Amino acid sequence: MTTQDDGAATQPGLMVGPTSEFSLFFRVKPDQGQSLRAALLDLQNTPGYRPGDYGMAIKTIHEARFVLFDEDTRLAFITSFDGPWDAYMEDFFTSGPTIALFDLIFQHVEGYEGLPDVAAVKAFVLGAEQTAAAYARNYGGTVKEIRKAQRVADAFQQVLDHPQAAEALEHPALQPLLDEAAD
Amino acid sequence: MSTVTTNGITLDLDDIQAGALYERPSPYVGVYLLLRIRDRADGRDLVRRLHRLANPAGSADTPDNTSITVAFTYHGLKALGVPQESLDSFVPEFREGMAARAAILGDTGESSPEHWEEPLGSSDVHVAVVVLSSDAAQLREAAEKARQAHAQLPGIDLIWRQDCYQLATGRTSFGFKDGIGQPSVEGTGRPSMNPRQQPLKAGEIILGYPDETGELPPMPTPDVLGRNGTYVVFRKLHTKVAAYRSYLRAKAADRADEDLLGAKMVGRWQSGAPLALAPETDDPELGADPRRNNDFTFADDPRGFKCPVGSHARRANPRDALDEDGSVDVRLHRMIRRGTSYGPILPDDVTEDDGADRGIIFVFAGAHLKRQFEFVKTQWLNDGIFIGAPLESDPLVGARQDPGSFTIAQRPIRRRLQDMPPFVITRGGEYCFAPSLSALRWLAELDT
Ligand code: HEM
Repeated sequence: MTTQDDGAATQPGLMVGPTSEFSLFFRVKPDQGQSLRAALLDLQNTPGYRPGDYGMAIKTIHEARFVLFDEDTRLAFITSFDGPWDAYMEDFFTSGPTIALFDLIFQHVEGYEGLPDVAAVKAFVLGAEQTAAAYARNYGGTVKEIRKAQRVADAFQQVLDHPQAAEALEHPALQPLLDEAAD
Repeated sequence: MSTVTTNGITLDLDDIQAGALYERPSPYVGVYLLLRIRDRADGRDLVRRLHRLANPAGSADTPDNTSITVAFTYHGLKALGVPQESLDSFVPEFREGMAARAAILGDTGESSPEHWEEPLGSSDVHVAVVVLSSDAAQLREAAEKARQAHAQLPGIDLIWRQDCYQLATGRTSFGFKDGIGQPSVEGTGRPSMNPRQQPLKAGEIILGYPDETGELPPMPTPDVLGRNGTYVVFRKLHTKVAAYRSYLRAKAADRADEDLLGAKMVGRWQSGAPLALAPETDDPELGADPRRNNDFTFADDPRGFKCPVGSHARRANPRDALDEDGSVDVRLHRMIRRGTSYGPILPDDVTEDDGADRGIIFVFAGAHLKRQFEFVKTQWLNDGIFIGAPLESDPLVGARQDPGSFTIAQRPIRRRLQDMPPFVITRGGEYCFAPSLSALRWLAELDT
């Protein structure tokens, strides 16, 4: 039964600027440590998760990791993503590719009833969430902004490689770019 | 009994209030009444009388399309003596009420509840009655019936009244046609206005049916109270039309540019023609054609050269624009809108504020206050994280304390409007619940 004041429940996940941290902790089913490791290895080899792919299914996630610890008896899933976690919770549970991927991993942890009972999956995930006691970031900006910034930085390097770059950057309007052009 | 079955869903249209599901044909006139229940017995008597006046979605429209819709706040249900256990079974946002959610919704500064119009946001607001009609005489007659329903009861006070209207053109105070983008709902028997979007599952709008997640939306108990009901949000939104016009005038090169900037902010031209289909100039025929004016997506325009990613209508319904993100299911954040205008229209070309109060009574109907109304308001309109512009809010309706900016993608270089003041101020509002007709009966017959 819901109560009068659970509307004030604190929102899961701390935010720094537009980005929230989100961490889940699970207990691995007895004797499933090895098969879970194998499942995670498979995950690591899927397109998007291969190191250097930079193409995870969820485009608003900065990074994500699965950590097996305590002699493979426990599993942590730790990530940062853009936006407040609780606003996107329902979306996460209905967007197909992500939940299917998680399904393969959660099978090895305790308390997981499996798809297709989305409500049960939701309760299960929320039960595993632990809000960070401290959280900091070293850059601001959403994944979308950072990708744009990378494209702009690459473009700028191309401009600098042009033989007439120095001349072209003489225009007063380009002073802020010229300030960044020396190294 | 009138029911319509689509995809296995049978909506009990004889039990659902028409106001939640069906658009009124424009033009129309209307009135919003807020009532306070001081005496419980009179309150139940009121509900009994209103039950006789409320229109089920299944009944045939009267020639003048006169309709009465009834909804209650949390305090209203409490005043009627709904058992605590049942009150507790409503979603927390409803129990808290809109004023308590002000900080989350961006209702701060000039829009904060301490500046709201009395009695909006107070626990005195118990019952909301909306009467709409395409005919002024019919409206008066229906409003008179609603008046009699409460005026003969000494324990009921009329505490607020707001006249409203919709012009034949469908245009609201800023000059734009409104009420175009609307989801269709399975089981209502009304065809989709957007041929590219599947109708929403009934449970997105009406309680007691599966929603887009495949689950039943959280429903208050007992069953008879929750089923076939819907949450209704209303907000009185003052529009600073003169400030909006002067801002555009100051930023635009000429009159045509003013129209273009306005269209870029909204995502549609004043006629309603969507930028996605008419990117260069207004196309009034397109704007007026219900078969075409919603027949578009954004997939061919990811950077927003035609329709800016930050424009109001694209924010409020990004359609397929976020499909690649993998983190948003747009269908979880749709809503039925039933906005109407209030106050005098500021004559064309006037850019001096005449001090008149004008704007829209924004009305939302949906099964999920949090993931529909509050999500759209907070994540899509007040914030820009989702489009990679955290510092930009909706140019037209975004809550902003400090002047904002708005980026318009165009070649060769983007245009950015700076120092944009807020153009919309919240005057107040409430979260309500519009119960089914059988729930109205149940409420009238409570014996607590
Ligand atoms: C004074 C405030 C507002 C004004 C003047 C306004 C005006 C408009 C206009 C002109 C349109 C385009 C026409 C149409 O598609 O119907 C529109 C669309 C829309 N607005 Fe607003 N609006 C306001 C507030 C809001 C708020 C607070 C919300 C939601 C929380 C909202 C949600 C929507 C939605 C969902 C659409 C339809 C988008 C689509 O399906 O393409 N609006 N609005």
